[in-house]
Amino acid sequence: MLARRWIPGLLAGLLALATPIWAEVPDAVNSLTVLSWGGAYEQAQRRALFTPFTDAHDLPVAVDSYNGGLTKLRQAVAQNDVRWDVIDMTRSEAMAACEEGLLEPLPPDLTAPAPDGTPASQDFFAGALGRCFISHSIFATVVAYRRDAFPGERPTRIADLFDQQRFPGPRALQRTPAANLEWALLSYQVPREELYRLLSTRRGLDLAFARLQSIADIHWWEAGDTPVRLLEEGEVVMASGYNGRFFAAMVECDLPIEILWDGQLQEHETWVIPRGAPNPEAARAFIRFATTSEHQVALARHIPYGPARRSASMQVTTHRDTGLDMRLHIPTHPINAQGAVTKDEAWYARTQARVEALFHEALTPQE
Amino acid sequence: MDSPSTDSVSARHPLEVLRFLGLVLLGSIVGGVAALVAVGFVNAVVGLNDLLLISPRGQMMAANTTLVILATLLVPTLGGLLVGQLHRGLPGGRPHTPADAIAAVQTRRGRLPAKAGALSGLSSLVSLGAGASVGQYGPLVHLGATLGSLITRLLHLGRSEDNITIACGVAAAIAAAFNAPLAGIVFAHEVVLRHYALRAFAPVAAAAIVGYVLATQLLDQGALFHITEPGVPQPWEFALFLVLGGLGALVAGAYMHAVLAVGQLAKRLPLPVSLHPALAGALLGLTALWVPDILGMGQETLRFATLPGAYGGGELLMVLLLKLAATALCLGLGFAGGVFSPALVIGTLFGALVGTLVAELGGGQETFIFYAVCGMVAVTAPVLGAPLTTLLIVFELTGSYALTTAALASVTLANPLAAQLFGRSLFDIQLARRGLDLSAGRSRAVLQETRLTELISHDAVTLHPATPLTKAISFLSKAGHGEAYLVDDRGRYQGCVTLASLETLRENSQATTLADCPETPRPVLDPHSSLWEAMHQLEKVTGEAIAVVDNERRFLGVTYESSIARAFLYHSDALRREEHGAG
Repeated sequence: MLARRWIPGLLAGLLALATPIWAEVPDAVNSLTVLSWGGAYEQAQRRALFTPFTDAHDLPVAVDSYNGGLTKLRQAVAQNDVRWDVIDMTRSEAMAACEEGLLEPLPPDLTAPAPDGTPASQDFFAGALGRCFISHSIFATVVAYRRDAFPGERPTRIADLFDQQRFPGPRALQRTPAANLEWALLSYQVPREELYRLLSTRRGLDLAFARLQSIADIHWWEAGDTPVRLLEEGEVVMASGYNGRFFAAMVECDLPIEILWDGQLQEHETWVIPRGAPNPEAARAFIRFATTSEHQVALARHIPYGPARRSASMQVTTHRDTGLDMRLHIPTHPINAQGAVTKDEAWYARTQARVEALFHEALTPQE
Repeated sequence: MDSPSTDSVSARHPLEVLRFLGLVLLGSIVGGVAALVAVGFVNAVVGLNDLLLISPRGQMMAANTTLVILATLLVPTLGGLLVGQLHRGLPGGRPHTPADAIAAVQTRRGRLPAKAGALSGLSSLVSLGAGASVGQYGPLVHLGATLGSLITRLLHLGRSEDNITIACGVAAAIAAAFNAPLAGIVFAHEVVLRHYALRAFAPVAAAAIVGYVLATQLLDQGALFHITEPGVPQPWEFALFLVLGGLGALVAGAYMHAVLAVGQLAKRLPLPVSLHPALAGALLGLTALWVPDILGMGQETLRFATLPGAYGGGELLMVLLLKLAATALCLGLGFAGGVFSPALVIGTLFGALVGTLVAELGGGQETFIFYAVCGMVAVTAPVLGAPLTTLLIVFELTGSYALTTAALASVTLANPLAAQLFGRSLFDIQLARRGLDLSAGRSRAVLQETRLTELISHDAVTLHPATPLTKAISFLSKAGHGEAYLVDDRGRYQGCVTLASLETLRENSQATTLADCPETPRPVLDPHSSLWEAMHQLEKVTGEAIAVVDNERRFLGVTYESSIARAFLYHSDALRREEHGAG
């Protein structure tokens, strides 16, 4: 067991010797262009990442915004006219773009080790380090409930979503298979690792549909702000939704809701470098900078997105503006993540249409 | 008063201690290698199943229904064709299994053949990858055992070390594949070594720990059987678990006999042996179009069987029977693979069936999982002959004490009942059919495996039957022997005379030559017979030695009673040192 104690240290030391290549920005570059999602998210990134990067490397960061999708990137790469150095992309799109050859492969030692020397490969959550992408944040689809609807016992497990005897009242669920099917099988105590293997069989899908059909009163939602509104108006007592929206409703609107973290479905947000980026060296330096534990912690003080590394999610402190303890609100904090499910994006990429058809046939036939 | 035994109890020679520590280190090395192979094997099977559209996930991702149907039909068939060809390179034409490792250790022969082990491993990989209804743990155990034996041979170590490293490889493979180090250690002792000497325990434990640690680092599959917070059964349900164990023994017996019976029937099949697996694959694929649950190792089927409501009662019975038949077909017709994973599936389906019946008769659904797990244990423990291992697997995989005690109730009846009715395990039944009876323990196995050839002596008086009586007496007296063996012109053994009987004859002076002497009835031995048989013949003999003759009664020499006794003492002593040595 002695070996286990010094080998990581040795590896970290070797990495430290090898890494300065990515830490330096070439002199000839005069600005870095980042493509991100705009709005409050971009504001948070500007305050936590872009400005500190400019200060540290004396390199201004220009920000462009988009709403996801690969069409523009495909065009730009085809015309050899890529103007962005770094793109903030969902992992499923990053996977697809990587397969299509739209992205630069990233060197495996690009990310820095954790402050305590743990190698990045162990510090990042599983699946966070891809060939062409590095996950930086993790957001989640969760269930939230009105505190005042359950004055006595409160829901603690995702199975409680389906238990209308102990937790009576209407539910609001997204009109998509994602999250709903996972939660339905989890309620049978299927382990997380086996969800998608079982959902690959007709028997597994039917079991999940049967569980969803057992809910007496479901409001199906499509737009992300609907579940918050339904909870606010008291139309439902439990609703699925995005953790960021529920956080905003709790902090900014004082809505008496609580998030049920068990069964949260996590998705990754990643950094990628498009093929033919004007300043790939500077782009790599930025990604290394932005994915250190320190800067991931800084970002999580602005928005309740979970850092993609273990060391960072342990160090998240207070909300910059309200002083609220952000630890309780990020999906990846160990306490919240105990029952987390990582969305199998490869599975959904291949099966979405078929599963959706079966889902609508079983649950929402009238529409 | 000086006690003569104090010396042997007190401090050992430092060199001995070093040798022992070296053995522990060797065990951990074997464990590491075996675990890496096991992890690679498990990952390769998963990868192949996904790639070849055998696993539900692979089929789901493929999206193309025609392609999936074609794959279901063709992949097991072509896999069988390949397996048949691979087995042509194996001595005996059959893949090696844990039974071979058990035989090697129980007879102290050791020295598992590397080529047969590698080929068997490869054909198991092909079988499992192509979706045959066979298990993966048997091949892992045999691969681990072969690697352990190979490493000992490369280091020119003795038989005793060979046996221990075989056990190390086995323990590491189980520890790695199940994420269950305790089960690995106990399996190696309970099934392979069948003794609990400290000298073997320490290296085996080291191997299991290394295997477990490596697997937790490298194998990113979830526990085979993860269960969160099972309920608590009613006290009266334990009686049901006990009965379920008894019935499980019968299911286990049916399963074992089905596997063996198909193997027997296959011999009468008018088809070259190398095509048998392909036939099994084709039949399996055809049935799987109708009931896909029987394809492959059946991890999804196993999981569904633990969920109340996933199968109806009739469906459970049908899938159980089909899975049993499919496994018997695949193993009997020569696919390579284990018996454990299918037994897990069959047992869980059986337990679920009982649980469903109990629920319909008014019992609760909350304890459904208990019935599934008890059924699983009640069928697998008798098949493996490993009640403790199976219990530990349940304990280490579920971490639930309630489930483990319920499972204990089931094995209490399942194992002894199956042992009485069918045999200690499928491995023991298979070995008994090959002529190695392990039911009387290891000392008998060792004697059964030791050949007489090395004990044959030529220091004996041989006389022609036509020799005159007086001449024979003086010849014997001068040679200092009490017995003579009569050998005719063609070298054929004609009987045996003793000096005492000759003297009696001379006094009565009825006979003139040895041929006229009354025959002293005495058994003869075949040079290929075992030490065990020789010892049995000795019971009927009072005399110096027994003649050894070949199958045409040609005289080859004699075996002295004293040399048989010496050989017996030698083997017993070696066994005792191996099984009771502290280090």
